[in-house]
Amino acid sequence: MVKGVVDWLDERLDLSEIRHFIAEKGVPIHTQEVWYYLGGMTMFLFAVQVFTGILLLLYYRPSSAEAYESVQFIVTQVKFGWLIRNIHSWSANLLIALAFAHFFSVFFLKSYRKPRELTWLTGILLLFLMMGFGFSGYLLPWNELSFFATKVGTGIAGAVPLIGPFTLRLLRGGDDVTGATLSRFYGLHVAILPAITTALVAAHLLLVQRQGMSVPPGIERAQKAGARGPLSQMKFFPNYILRDVLAWYVVLAVVAALAAFYPWELGTKADPFAVVPPGIRPEWYFLAMFHTLKLVPSHVLGIEGEHLGVVGFGLVALFLVLVPFLDRRASRGERSPVFTIIAALGLVYLVVFTIIGHYAK
Amino acid sequence: MSQIIRRCLPLIAAMALFAPPRASAQPAPAVNTCLTCHATQTDARLATPATLFSGTDVHRERGFACADCHGGDAAAGDKARAHDAAKGFKGAPKGQAQIATCARCHSDADLMRRFAPKQRVDQAAEYATSVHGKQLAAGHGNVATCASCHGPHGIRLVRDAKSPVFPTNVAATCAVCHADPRHMAGYKLPDGTPLPTTQLADYKKSVHYAALTKGNDLSAPTCNDCHGNHGATPPGVGAVANVCGTCHAVFATKFQTSVHAQIFDKGCVECHSNHAVLKPSDAMLGSTGHAVCATCHSGADDKGAKAADAMHGQFEQLEAGITRAGGLIGRVKNAGIEVSDQELALREAVTKLTLARTEMHAFDPALVAPIIADGATIVAGVDAAGQKGVDELRFRRRGLAISLGAILLFVVALGLKLRQIERRSHP
Repeated sequence: MVKGVVDWLDERLDLSEIRHFIAEKGVPIHTQEVWYYLGGMTMFLFAVQVFTGILLLLYYRPSSAEAYESVQFIVTQVKFGWLIRNIHSWSANLLIALAFAHFFSVFFLKSYRKPRELTWLTGILLLFLMMGFGFSGYLLPWNELSFFATKVGTGIAGAVPLIGPFTLRLLRGGDDVTGATLSRFYGLHVAILPAITTALVAAHLLLVQRQGMSVPPGIERAQKAGARGPLSQMKFFPNYILRDVLAWYVVLAVVAALAAFYPWELGTKADPFAVVPPGIRPEWYFLAMFHTLKLVPSHVLGIEGEHLGVVGFGLVALFLVLVPFLDRRASRGERSPVFTIIAALGLVYLVVFTIIGHYAK
Repeated sequence: MSQIIRRCLPLIAAMALFAPPRASAQPAPAVNTCLTCHATQTDARLATPATLFSGTDVHRERGFACADCHGGDAAAGDKARAHDAAKGFKGAPKGQAQIATCARCHSDADLMRRFAPKQRVDQAAEYATSVHGKQLAAGHGNVATCASCHGPHGIRLVRDAKSPVFPTNVAATCAVCHADPRHMAGYKLPDGTPLPTTQLADYKKSVHYAALTKGNDLSAPTCNDCHGNHGATPPGVGAVANVCGTCHAVFATKFQTSVHAQIFDKGCVECHSNHAVLKPSDAMLGSTGHAVCATCHSGADDKGAKAADAMHGQFEQLEAGITRAGGLIGRVKNAGIEVSDQELALREAVTKLTLARTEMHAFDPALVAPIIADGATIVAGVDAAGQKGVDELRFRRRGLAISLGAILLFVVALGLKLRQIERRSHP
C-alpha cells in the first residue's frame, strides 16, 4: 500500500533525489550525540501546541466579556476539553524549557560556528518567538493573574527608551490593558507568531538537513590532530528517526501525566478595577529578567534604572544573535573558553535568578 | 418634648448665670501670660494644663486661649491682675459651670458654623436629658461632665485615635468611673439594685469588642452606640430591641413578630446578654445543654422546647451538609476539576442557612423549614456534582494509566525494533 503510493508519486515527481538523500544521510555517533534529540523534542512539542491550539480555537472566544467563560466552558463542558487545555498549557512550558536546553547545548558545543551561523540565527529567533507565544498566550484565559502580569509585562516593554510609549500602546491597544489588548494578543498568538514561526522552523530544519549535524569542536580537533579516526555514522533513516520518535513518546507521556495530575489552574476572572492581588509575577521563563529589573536601582548615573535594565536585556539579545560572528576562534576551529564561560555564567544567572524570583515577595 | 424643656430649665438657668461674655476666636494675645506662668509652676496640678494646652489641642489650634474658658486677663504680668474676678476670671469651671462654659460655643450654631459646620450644637441640651445631666441637676457633683470624657486640656477631635472618645477608647473612658466601685457606690438601677461595675469586663468578652479592636471595625458598637453619648442613658426595657435593631434590623423585625416580643422583659438581652454579647451559635437554640431556651422550656410536652429542638436539628443538618459538600468539591477542585459553579451554589446554601437563622428569631419552625429545605436542595445538587467530579477524576486517572501503558508498550516495541535494525546493519 505505502509502496504503491510512493511509486505513484515517484512516477510523477521523481523522488529519486529525496530517496538518495534519505539513504545517504547519516548522523555522527559520539559521546555528545544525546543533545541532538533536544531539537526534535522541541519541534514535537511545537506540533502538539499547533494541534491542541487549533482544537482550543474551536471554542475560545477572544473578548474580555467571554474569554474567561469560554475557557471555563472548555474545561468543564467540552468532552476532553480539560485534557486539551492542560496539554496546551503544560506543553507550552515544557517547550520553552526544552528550547532553552537546546539553546544551551548548542551554545556549549559551539554548534553555531561556521558554516552554521544561519541555523543559530533562525534558532535564536525561534527561542524569542516561543517566549512571545508564552507572553501572548498567558493573557488569553483573561484571569486575574494573567491580567496583572500582562499589565506589568507590557509596562516593562513601555520602558524601552524612545520607542517605549509607542510599543506600550501598540501592545495594549491603548493606555491600559483592556479587551483591545486581548484581541491583539489573540491575533499575535494564533496568526502572526505562528506564521513567522512556521517559516523560521522550515528554514531551521532545511539548514540542519542541508548542513548535517555539527560535531563537537573537541572531537573535531582530535580528528584533525589525528588523535582519533573518523566518527562512525548512524543512518538518519530509520535509526535516528526512530530514536527521535522514541524521545517524542517519552515527552508525550510526561505531558499527559502532568496534564492529568497537575491541571493548569484557571483562577478567577480578571477584574480591571480590582486591587492588584499579591504575588503577581510573570511566567517562570521571564522571572529572571523580572527579578533583575526589580534589583536595578531606580536611577543609575542619572539614567532611569528600568530603562537601563531594558536596554541591557536588548543588548544581551543582540549579543546572542551575533554570537557566531563574534566567536572568531570557534569559527577557526580553535578553543574559545571565553564563550564557554559566558554560556556557563548565563546558565547560572538564569537558574539562580529564576529561583530567587520565584521565592521573592 | 415639653417635659424635656422643663427638665432642661435648671441647666439653661445655670448656663445663663455662668455665661461669660460671648466667646469668639479672637486672635490669641501675642503674649499669653497664663501659659508662661503656669508652665513654670512646680505644682503639677497647675503646670499640666499649660503643658497639655500647648501640645495638641483643638481649641488652641483654632485660635482660642486660656482666658476664653477661664476668663481673666491673659496680658497681665502678675497673678493678681490676671486672676482678677472683675475681668471675668472664674478659675476651673466645674459641674453646671463647666457645661455652661462649653455650651457657650458648642451650643452656638453661628459660632460653630465657622469651625465645624457639620457639628451638632445640641450637646448641652442632650446632656440635660441624660442620667449624668439629671444627676448633676439633682446636686450630684460626682457625675461626668464634658471634661470627664473629652478631657479639660489637650482636647483632640473625636476622629483622632488618641482622643479618649475615639471609638476604640470610649469603653476605657466610660470605665474610669463605671468600673470603679468606690466612684459608683450609692448609684442604683431602677429596680433598686446597686449599679454594677463589671460592664467593661463583660464588654471585653463580647463579639462587639472583638469586632472593634481585633477586626478594626470602627462601626462596631461601643458604650455610646447603645447608651448614647451626650444623652447617655440606659436603654429602657422596651427600647432594647430598638437599640439592637439599629444595626440588626432584620433580627429586630423578626423578633417583633414573635411570641417572645410580648413576653421578654429585656428583649434581645434575655438571650444574648447586654454587655457580654457572645458570638451566637446554634448551641444557644434547643432545650438541652447550654441552650438559652432551656432556661424556660424543657420537657417532652413543652411546645417551645419541641420547636427549639426542631429548628436546632434543621440547622445542624444543613450545616453538616454544607461542610460535607464543601469538603467534596474542595477535594475535586484540588485535583484540578473546575467547580466554580458548585462553589457559588454552596455560598447560596450558606446564605440560606444564615436566612434560616435570622428567621428563627420569629420562633416559628414553619417559617424556618422552607428555607432549610431550599438550602438542602442546593447542597444535594452540589453533592451530586461533587460525586460526578470524583467519577471524572477516576476516569481521568484510568485513562492516563491506559495511555501511559500504551506509550510504554510502543516505546519498548520501538526499542526492540531499533535493536533489530542495528544488529542487522552491524552483524
